[in-house]
Amino acid sequence: MSVFLASESDPIGHIVDKGVLGFSLFDQPVMLSMITLIGCAIVLYLLMHKAAKSIATGPVEMGNRRFIPIGSFAALVEVVVVYLRNEMLIPVMGERLTKRYLSFLLSLFFFILALNIVGLIPFVDIQDAIYGLMGKKFDIAEHETSAIFGGAATASISVTGGLALVSFIVIQFQGFRELGVKGWLEHLCGGHELVHGSIFLWLVVPIIFVVEFFGLFVKPAALAIRLFANMVAGHTLLITLTMFGAMAIKAGLGIFAVGGITIVSGIGAILITFLEVFVAVLQSFIFMFLTAVFISLMAHEEEEGHSEHGTHQGHDASVTTAAH
Amino acid sequence: MLIASTDPLAFNLLPFITTIVVFSVVAIALGVFVWPKILKGLDDRNAKILHEIESAEAARAVAAAKQKEFEQKLAEALEQAAQMIREAKSEAVRMGDEIRAKSEADLAERARRAGEEIENARRAAIAELESHAATLAVSIAGRILKREINPADQKRMIEESMAGMSTMSTMSGSGPSKRN
Repeated sequence: MSVFLASESDPIGHIVDKGVLGFSLFDQPVMLSMITLIGCAIVLYLLMHKAAKSIATGPVEMGNRRFIPIGSFAALVEVVVVYLRNEMLIPVMGERLTKRYLSFLLSLFFFILALNIVGLIPFVDIQDAIYGLMGKKFDIAEHETSAIFGGAATASISVTGGLALVSFIVIQFQGFRELGVKGWLEHLCGGHELVHGSIFLWLVVPIIFVVEFFGLFVKPAALAIRLFANMVAGHTLLITLTMFGAMAIKAGLGIFAVGGITIVSGIGAILITFLEVFVAVLQSFIFMFLTAVFISLMAHEEEEGHSEHGTHQGHDASVTTAAH
Repeated sequence: MLIASTDPLAFNLLPFITTIVVFSVVAIALGVFVWPKILKGLDDRNAKILHEIESAEAARAVAAAKQKEFEQKLAEALEQAAQMIREAKSEAVRMGDEIRAKSEADLAERARRAGEEIENARRAAIAELESHAATLAVSIAGRILKREINPADQKRMIEESMAGMSTMSTMSGSGPSKRN
């Protein structure tokens, strides 16, 4: 009960990244998100390796069955990979760029998805509850936790910022590789036609340069903030709903009132959890997809024209995200 | 003991760097050991399905050609059978006509022979009747004349009577036949 009651003070306290048992590294506290990142990376790799073995073509002795993936998880991974590659990335980036960046984009999607899903499982509360039953008390809202794993890593701006920096590096790498330094600068100034066009058009070049230059950093920053904000908002709502029961007890309400509030808020929390699962998948997809769109924008103009339809889809996705 | 910030927007350098390092490592590991296997498996299956579809389409085309050939042969066989039936019917009609004509000819021949035999029998009967009549006439004439007629006379008289009757028969045509 003490553990449960501890949750009624501050919902943000549950979401904020916490230090792990006071450990530090280079005079910086070791955070729960770091352990979660490493744990998720290992689990993700092992799961995907297993799925890859199931999806990969088997030995000839198996006959036609060697082409069939074994297991529902492998089938799920296959469906997601095929959908992302054929229906989302190829229309946006074209065959060539998709082939070049598919590994990176798939890794980005599944890594963020793993972090989001793990964030929905209350590992921290479970560990604190176990320690609570052993007689140790932690106030999670006051940044006290016995947990060494768990928490929503993507609800930390440091984590989403790190992922956005990786996307930024890849996007700019693509720009320099495809366009060269001169082409990259022309891209920042509005493109080849504008720079080599009429002298009167040069008046708008400085404005476009400023906008495009800041856009270089705003785009990945928007990726980081979008993911972080969605995760924080969802978890805050979820924790607030679970706090209602404890708040009713603290307010001294009768058993029926407490029971009713608890049941209603519990049902609400369950429904919001389903929504959060959807948001976890959606945000993973949006982060990956917008990165793909930004990469494709750094391709040659004829390829941009090829992927015009996909770019519109990217904007549509941005609108969806903004609505969320 | 270091205490982390309670501000959700607080930026921590260590998780930031950890994210970059961990993601880079896992992306490289997945890129080397996982995605190529999955993508190759998908491409292999895709190629296999395409190959199977092409094979099925080729087999279907061959089957359609065979079916067309079979239907053509069947039509030819049916036409041939109909032709044979027509020829058999025509032959049967021809043979029936032939048999009927032969039967009619045979019947006519038999009728003709029967007519001849009847005519011969009639003539023999007439001759025998004439002979008996002559003998009877001679006998009667002898009794009338009350004398004995020797065989030589009898023979002569018979011959005379016969000649006379033949003359009468000739003169009267086929008198007995007409009487019959």
